[in-house]
Amino acid sequence: MSFELKMMLPALIVLAAISIVPFFYLIYMTLNKISLVGGTGISPQWIGLRNWARMFTDPDVGAGWITMVIFFVATVGLEMLLGIGIALLVHEMVWGRNVTLSILLIPMFVAPVIVGLLGRFLVNPTYGMYAWVLRTTHIFTGNILGGHVSAFVAVVLMDVWEWTPLIVLITLAGLVSVPDQVIEAGRVDGAGYWQRLRHIVGPSISGIVLVALLIRAMDALRYFDVIWQSTAGGPANATKIIPLRLYEVAFQFLDLGYAATIGIVMLALSIALATLFTGILRRRGLIG
Amino acid sequence: MQVQRPNVMTRSAFLRTLGAGFAGSAALAAAGCGSSNVHRGGSGWKQYSGMTLNFISENTGPSSAIAANLKPFTELTGINVNISQLVLTSVEQKVALDLSAHSGQYQVIYADPYNIMAPLSHGFADLTPFLHDKTLPPLPKGVGDFVPTQLLAAGRFGDKLLALPYDCPTIIWCYRKDLFQKHRAAMQRDLGFDPTPSIKTTWNQYLQIAKWFNANQNDVPYGTGHQAKQFTSLNDDFANVLWAYGGDYFHNGKHIGMYGSTDPGPCTLDQPPAIRAAEFYKELIDVAHPGSVSWDWNDLAEAFGDGLVAMCPCWHEDAAGWFAPGGLGDKVGFSPLPTGPVRSANHYGGTGIAINKYISKDEQRAAWLFLVWATSPQTQEAGLFSKVGGGTPTRQWVYKMPKVQRATKPPSDAPNMIPYDAVKLAWEPQNIGLRPKVPYWNQCDAVIFTELSKMLAGNKSPADAMRAAKRGVDAAVKGKSSGV
Repeated sequence: MSFELKMMLPALIVLAAISIVPFFYLIYMTLNKISLVGGTGISPQWIGLRNWARMFTDPDVGAGWITMVIFFVATVGLEMLLGIGIALLVHEMVWGRNVTLSILLIPMFVAPVIVGLLGRFLVNPTYGMYAWVLRTTHIFTGNILGGHVSAFVAVVLMDVWEWTPLIVLITLAGLVSVPDQVIEAGRVDGAGYWQRLRHIVGPSISGIVLVALLIRAMDALRYFDVIWQSTAGGPANATKIIPLRLYEVAFQFLDLGYAATIGIVMLALSIALATLFTGILRRRGLIG
Repeated sequence: MQVQRPNVMTRSAFLRTLGAGFAGSAALAAAGCGSSNVHRGGSGWKQYSGMTLNFISENTGPSSAIAANLKPFTELTGINVNISQLVLTSVEQKVALDLSAHSGQYQVIYADPYNIMAPLSHGFADLTPFLHDKTLPPLPKGVGDFVPTQLLAAGRFGDKLLALPYDCPTIIWCYRKDLFQKHRAAMQRDLGFDPTPSIKTTWNQYLQIAKWFNANQNDVPYGTGHQAKQFTSLNDDFANVLWAYGGDYFHNGKHIGMYGSTDPGPCTLDQPPAIRAAEFYKELIDVAHPGSVSWDWNDLAEAFGDGLVAMCPCWHEDAAGWFAPGGLGDKVGFSPLPTGPVRSANHYGGTGIAINKYISKDEQRAAWLFLVWATSPQTQEAGLFSKVGGGTPTRQWVYKMPKVQRATKPPSDAPNMIPYDAVKLAWEPQNIGLRPKVPYWNQCDAVIFTELSKMLAGNKSPADAMRAAKRGVDAAVKGKSSGV
């Protein structure tokens, strides 16, 4: 055994114990019936690919994925647009930038479960402030969490409220790293704001924006707390994204083999997404 | 079908069955009535002195009261008790893992009959041998002192007694007494019947009263409110109407609710009474406060307490909040739920406490001492008047105590007692509503409340929703599906 391997061995053992072994066991679980219901105990019963076959034919898992994709596009898209826009505005501020930024970042430090509770209170049809504002302005008079579309929009906006500041922060970090001389040179050459944004600032911050996108995309795939607290997946499954389905199967139905199968697919998609983004970053020469 | 009981159970048959099931144990326990006050102690209490028990419970009133007042038990037995209070879903998960791994981490378990006892019945010790064991202190007042329907619903699974009734929240009709008195004459004139809530009122009349409140007064925004969020609360609320209309989840539903079954047979939600119940329920929610479809039981209790609705079917233990200082207090009245075409059905949501089977015999016996003490009339009385909470007694003896009887009228030191007249009727065999005790109830419940939510959202007709629920429940019971 080489000296390097000996030095790495303790770390590798820890890594194997907390990550690699559970991962392979998770795969093994997908090939077994492990249900805690009915006295079968925690012992696995080999069932081959039945959990996989069931998952690919389970209409509710399919519906969960469709809702997940719409949710993913809506939240990440809105957060990127708003985050970049707000960052550009803050970057242009001459005074009060730090105070503004501090205020803008507050939602990011709120625990997601609290965001869910807060959102639920704010849109409550009887005492919720947002519900009252929408009702008195006749923009929306129904029960926000009681309608399919309104409930979905509400949980999307709760996520957007919490995580747009992260995009603002990352984008601002990119904006301050753009050399002033380059901006100034563009201005001297007669480039207007939008031209500078498109041809100088945009390309300069695209790498860091991609990193922000990667972080949010990975997060959005395991989104759970806010929806669980506010709608629990309803009404009529309108907000039941795949992590809620996974939670339900694993911790309410105690069907651990099937839950492992859904979990593995979520993991595979997360890895695929991360690989896609890192590939783009590598092609742009932004990572080694 | 493992349930081998007659299809129809009359009140007398019910009492006979109960008596036969527990005759021996009740007689034995009753024989010990002379030493029934656990607080006085006696032989056998100290035999496990020094032992430590772990009790896992939902964060309910009785457990809070016991946690705040464990000293009498420790002094009586020398046994220390650690109480973990969690939300029910967390209790379910921890108990499932503990029992499945046979690790014996928790000796005493809050065994919700539907979410914990039925799916994990293999992991609980049969309590009958403890009842007969003369080396253990007798159960004060005997097992027959428990409210009979509660003993079956919370305690029995198959031919075994797995738990002793510990709490007993029940859905009853909660209404604004002041508003009903104020508008009684006008409602009677407009509707053509006496609107005063009672078990004789029909669900159709309830609907008409709700509509009347919506249209004719300004004291409250809406007539009725419901816990119709896509969650367990929705099915809990719907079940009252389902049973009242003569529907049920399975054939022999009442028996499966009392004795449980691992093979309940085909779901009956697609039968005409269930579809009629769903149609009525949709109509009811359509006139209810619009917030209803996003309210669970806590939200509903809060909405009623805040004066948003004139009446609602609500868990009776929410009375404690309404009678707290600053609450509605004496303005609130209670009645058993209305009668449908078949009966009045009042959803029982009580739970028992049970002993982990995968622990040593000595630990089981020590845990039994805790069960005896925690469910004794004296402990229940203390819990009822506890400053930190307290539930509603499951012992009939407690209700005979003068102090407890006085508490049924406001102002009361024990506001959970104020709805007693209504819940007493609700617990009668012919009025109680019992969910089926089947191992896959969690999946079935998820199927049903999701389909109901689709119905309320207008995605499905009541008939389609019920048929889809039947298919989902049948699949769940056969272990082919994990719900919706």
